[in-house]
Amino acid sequence: MMVFRGWSYDEIILPMFDYQDLFSRGMGRDKAERTYRFVDRDGSLLALRPELTSLIARTVATRFRRKPRPIRLCYSGEVFRYDEPSQRAAGEFHQLGLEQIGEAGITADLEVLLIAIETLTSLGLTGFRIALSHVDFFNGIASRLEFAEPDRTRLRELIDRRNSQALDHFLASHAPQIEEAERQRLCQLIGLTRGDESLVLAGNLLANRQSLAAVDHLTRIHETLRQLNLAEHFVIDLGEVAGLDYYTGLTFRIYVPHRGTTIGSGGRYDKLIGNFGDPEPAVGFSLSLDGLAGALAAQRPDEPWQSVEESETIEPGDQLSGAFLRARQLREQKRKVRIGGDKSR
Amino acid sequence: MVETSRDDSLTIALSKGRMQEQSLALFARAGIHVDEDERNSRRLLLRSSDGAYSFVFVKPGDVPTYVEYGVADVGICGRDVLLESGADVHEPLDLQIGRCRIAVAGRRELLGEDYNLLATVRVATKYPRIATAYFHEKGVPIEVIPLSGSVELAPLLGLSDRIVDLVETGRTLQENGLEVIDVITESTARLIVNRASFHLKTAQVARLLESLTRELGSPDRRG
Repeated sequence: MMVFRGWSYDEIILPMFDYQDLFSRGMGRDKAERTYRFVDRDGSLLALRPELTSLIARTVATRFRRKPRPIRLCYSGEVFRYDEPSQRAAGEFHQLGLEQIGEAGITADLEVLLIAIETLTSLGLTGFRIALSHVDFFNGIASRLEFAEPDRTRLRELIDRRNSQALDHFLASHAPQIEEAERQRLCQLIGLTRGDESLVLAGNLLANRQSLAAVDHLTRIHETLRQLNLAEHFVIDLGEVAGLDYYTGLTFRIYVPHRGTTIGSGGRYDKLIGNFGDPEPAVGFSLSLDGLAGALAAQRPDEPWQSVEESETIEPGDQLSGAFLRARQLREQKRKVRIGGDKSR
Repeated sequence: MVETSRDDSLTIALSKGRMQEQSLALFARAGIHVDEDERNSRRLLLRSSDGAYSFVFVKPGDVPTYVEYGVADVGICGRDVLLESGADVHEPLDLQIGRCRIAVAGRRELLGEDYNLLATVRVATKYPRIATAYFHEKGVPIEVIPLSGSVELAPLLGLSDRIVDLVETGRTLQENGLEVIDVITESTARLIVNRASFHLKTAQVARLLESLTRELGSPDRRG
């Protein structure tokens, strides 16, 4: 949270529950099915918050309507949901995150990515990777192939599972107009993530304006990251298609060694706020506190948790009032104070 | 905690039993060898001769779990097991071993009978998830009866109307007076990859995929 504040993000405290309808609007009906629900006195359906972005979107579109843009907000809090498909996981998660609202374009995208890196680095995590993608790469290809449902969903599933062989067969039968070389290139592209060479590979694949613009956007982001000497933390993963219904541009997922699942994700979602008022561009991400804590514990098992700032210990002794007076003075200098020594030693 | 892998080595989860030898043979042909002595030992954790891979041996149904949680980076399991587990993993490669079908079967003398529209169809199976999805798509209401073996017995004793089970040759079905009504899907062994390992150990995963793909594509491959 200190990193977030350093980038001028203000913390916002959000309601623990709200109307189910709000989350349906924010996340899409399917995802909002995973909430824990209950009924208000007047019979309206409420839900424990399954995520925080919808709540922020509503606040920004209503109470913050007249505030100058961009608006920068961060949060830290519990969310509640049944997480498919791993129903094994507990239904309560602690999330940290931020949203930047009102600014379209590459600067805001980069800002959010850089904050993500800085947060992870400041925690002492190493070896993490952020996989970048862009929804329009897939969207462009799907519309170029003139795929309607259910073929579109099938295409997306195959790409998501990186099932290159099945993808190859599927395209051969459902999109015979594609040349074999191009088909194989697409299969190769989703097969593995790489650095920016996958962008070159993607360059004029199944050429269409939407995909090209997406590739161009990612190329520019990657170029800037390289100039900042941060390229090692990033991979380009054009096979990432999970957030397609929600995100509208850049998407990313964060992975760390010793954690089998993603510990955070984010991206651009320019349509969401329009569900609650005037449409506005927005970009953000969230991190799982459990994921972060688990990764830290695995990376540095010997290091006990300690508070960031050192605190000063004051022994009360006989002069109680003197000790508390001294404590007050130190607090006024913004120092951290502890009354009484550690008895356990 | 046992150290399963160095940071740069890949941990591979393999199914114990039927597929274990086939999988190890495939790896051997792709140039990944496990010491003979180690293979004959009963240890559940082996290392390849060059130290680049560790193998863990688990029950077939647990392979997707090990991989989904990232305890193993990569795993080999049948598509049937993968579908049933619903694990969220990548499946980049069909290894074309362990071929079988998942099918709906029932008693021969009742085959002509359509699903009784008034009653819920009882389906005995080791694959509740696959069975439910299949009948759901057909719009047939069913009651799933989960069993863990000898599923063919269920229709004979009147426990269920249908079964959903693996069929390799169909002999077991035949000998019990059952017949395949519909094939839900074909199943072969899949190489599955953990989503995080896919990004964090890209080079190692790529190398493994390449050597396996090369082996699968070679002409002297045995089925």
